[in-house]
Amino acid sequence: MTAIISTIRDWYCPNCGLTDRTNEPLPHSRFHTCPKLGMLSAPMLPTTTKAKVEMNERQDYQGSEILTMDANNRPVMSIVTTRDNGTDALVFAPLATARGGA
Amino acid sequence: MVWSASKIFVSFIEDALENTAALDLNSDTFKCALYDNDITPDNTAATANTLLNAGQWTQAGNEVADGTNWDAGGEPLTSVTFAPTAAVLKFDATDTPQGGATCTLANVYGAFVHDSSVGNQGVSFHYLGGVNGVTAGTFSVVWHGSGILTITLT
Repeated sequence: MTAIISTIRDWYCPNCGLTDRTNEPLPHSRFHTCPKLGMLSAPMLPTTTKAKVEMNERQDYQGSEILTMDANNRPVMSIVTTRDNGTDALVFAPLATARGGA
Repeated sequence: MVWSASKIFVSFIEDALENTAALDLNSDTFKCALYDNDITPDNTAATANTLLNAGQWTQAGNEVADGTNWDAGGEPLTSVTFAPTAAVLKFDATDTPQGGATCTLANVYGAFVHDSSVGNQGVSFHYLGGVNGVTAGTFSVVWHGSGILTITLT
């Protein structure tokens, strides 16, 4: 007897409602450009997972920092997914820069 | 003073240009370590105080790691590149996730990028803009679209 394991996974975005389907045997995640999260690349969730996905603005002054901005020009600190049993976080690091000239 | 900005270490540039250390942004191994808000990063510190576990980068009581999935000393950067585009030199890598399946981290305020091939010398530090963390999940540092660091020569 041969067991057939489905590799099809269905995904959704709790913010914009986009749905998608992948057919990939290896563990993977799915991202999309979310119009409800300032056009940032945000994770999609398996349809079996109930969670919220939120964008958090930077909590401190921008100053001279070169930051990731959303489509509304707000400085992005993180995108956090809150599940019943934990959280995931994408944390956006600013660019470090140096400038020189003769 | 605590975390306030993201900067390149002056000593990193100086040591590379003076050949004090064999720093190679194309081929060395780099890691990203996470720190809490008990430190005051200083990009003008002497080389000895820009090393992992030295100066402000003392690990005990400051570094945030879970020992398994986000390792003490940091997670490795992958697909590292360093190349010029016109007058801008860019150091970049793919985003840095935790190494294990899930992790729990708290009070993450900043990231410290260091060259683990050359004495864990600091390259740059990045203020993440506030308190961050994760519970039984995945934590990833997303590098800026323009890279980890740039050096612009005008």
